[in-house]
Formats: sequence, structure tokens, C-alpha cells
Amino acid sequence: MIRMGRPRGFDEAEAVRSAATLFARRGYDGISVDDLVSHLGVHRNSLYKTFGSKRGLYLRALRWHLEHQVAPLLDAIRQAPDAATALHRSLDAQAAGADIGLLLMAVADRAPSDPDVAAEVERALADFDQAITQALTGGSPPPSPQAPAGDRPPPAEALAPALTATVLGLHLRGRVGAPAAEAVAALAGRLDRH
Amino acid sequence: MARVNVDGGTLVVEMEGLDKLWALKSRLEIPLENVRGATIDPGIVREPKGIRAPGTHLPGVLVAGTFHINGQRVFWDVRDPNKAVVIELADERYARLILQVDDPRATVNLIEHAKQPPA
Repeated sequence: MIRMGRPRGFDEAEAVRSAATLFARRGYDGISVDDLVSHLGVHRNSLYKTFGSKRGLYLRALRWHLEHQVAPLLDAIRQAPDAATALHRSLDAQAAGADIGLLLMAVADRAPSDPDVAAEVERALADFDQAITQALTGGSPPPSPQAPAGDRPPPAEALAPALTATVLGLHLRGRVGAPAAEAVAALAGRLDRH
Repeated sequence: MARVNVDGGTLVVEMEGLDKLWALKSRLEIPLENVRGATIDPGIVREPKGIRAPGTHLPGVLVAGTFHINGQRVFWDVRDPNKAVVIELADERYARLILQVDDPRATVNLIEHAKQPPA
């Protein structure tokens, strides 16, 4: 019986997108294979045949999320004319056509126990650091160290991880309705003084 | 119940006790490069099993042995659905193994981290 060329009978890309939404909302352990089968419109056998395992699907969904949903936010940050604009933009994922829900979930939910997820998350956070550095320096190379070390503000690269953590933290606070605008304005004001 | 171990580059599945008899199989060895992944899946026992040949199917009690469904050969050894693990294979006699194991989470972690990363 030759079945090799048989179409899978479902839209693989659409299944990966829907899985990203499910995992972002309820975490890895909160989604059973029953949930995947009923929400993705995929037969169990096809699910296993295509993705190998639930974890295989999760990794595909996370990579898709980073490439298609997180990347637009990073672009918006990189293209900001100054640090204050970059910070405001980083908090408004919707305006950038972005969504960082699964990344936020993965940082806490899977990264501590899954090295492959941790590697993806670390890469994404490094991209955030790089985008914020670029926004802080306006794309120009860091100034040459003329002034004595004590008088210089910390270089943008050194500051970026703290700002990335702040941005992710404010996104988390935003989930319980905490207004971030004032905090961002205050922080941006401090940054601009440097 | 089955005991699942990784020995070098091989996944070793051993059926325990009387399951050897019901499943008509006591041991399976699969090269890790043919293992695509493992998943905890209690719901799979409600899926159609296909045609049993050879093996034992006492609905609601025990599924053991070889089943044929959609042109695929699937090996079952499950009594307690809550401990069912699905191991997906490639280029093997069986398309997948559906096994009851003592600690599903540990077995899935073992396999998912021992298998070759997808190309």
C-alpha cells in the first residue's frame, strides 16, 4: 500500500500558529494532546507523524512565535529615534503588530527545565538587548573612551539587559492591568539625561 | 507495563510480567536516530485502535500487542491510561509505541533529551 505521497490533510503552518496561541495562554502542561487535537483540527496520528511529540510541536510553535510575533516588536525598537521612543514602543506590542505572550510564558514555564527552550529564549533576550542597545546609541558605534571612566555613563550594551528585563517585567505587570505609561515616562526621562 | 531505558544509542523497551504474554513480545530495541519523540497522552486510549494482529484487546481493561490502523503498525501495552506514553518512530516496523510506564514524565524527558535533534 503506497501512502507516502498522501497529503497530511491539514494546514501545518496554521496548526503551529494555533498551538502557539494555546501554549501562550495555558502553558506547556496546561495543554493536553486532547486539547491540541480538538483545537488544531488535526488527527492524533497526523499530529504525531508531523511533529514527533507534543514537545516537538511546542518547539516549532516557540520558534514560529519568535520569528513572526516577537521580531516585529524588535524592529519597532531598533527603528526608534531615541531611547524614550524605544521604551514606549517596546511596551506597545499591539501597535507593532507583535505579541510576546508565548516568550513571556516560556521564560518562566519551560526554560528552566528544557535546555532547547532555554537556548531559544536566551537568543530572543539577546536580540532584545541588541535592539535596545541600537535604540540607545541611535545605531552609531559606542563613543570612544576619552573621558575618565568615572565620569562616563554606562555604555548602552551594559544597560540593555536591565532595560530588557524592565520591558518584560512591565509586560507582565500589564497583564494585571497595571498602567506602565508613567513608569516608562519616568525611566525614559532618566535615560535622556545621560 | 513497560520499562523504558536508553542504552548507548538504543532505546530499549521491556514488557514486564504477564504483559509479555498479552503483547506477545518481551523486548523491543530501537536505534535512537529512529525515535522522533515521546509524549504523555492519557487520551489516546479513547482513539480507535484498528485491527489487532497479533495481540490482546479487552476494551476498558487492556490493550496489548500489534494493531494496524490507516496503513500503520502500532504497538500497544496499556492498562492504565493515566500512565500512557506515545513514542513516535521513523523507518521502523512500528510507526509508534503506546506504552504504560511507571513514571510517564521521567520517561518522556529521558527520550526527548536522548533523541537526535530534528534536522
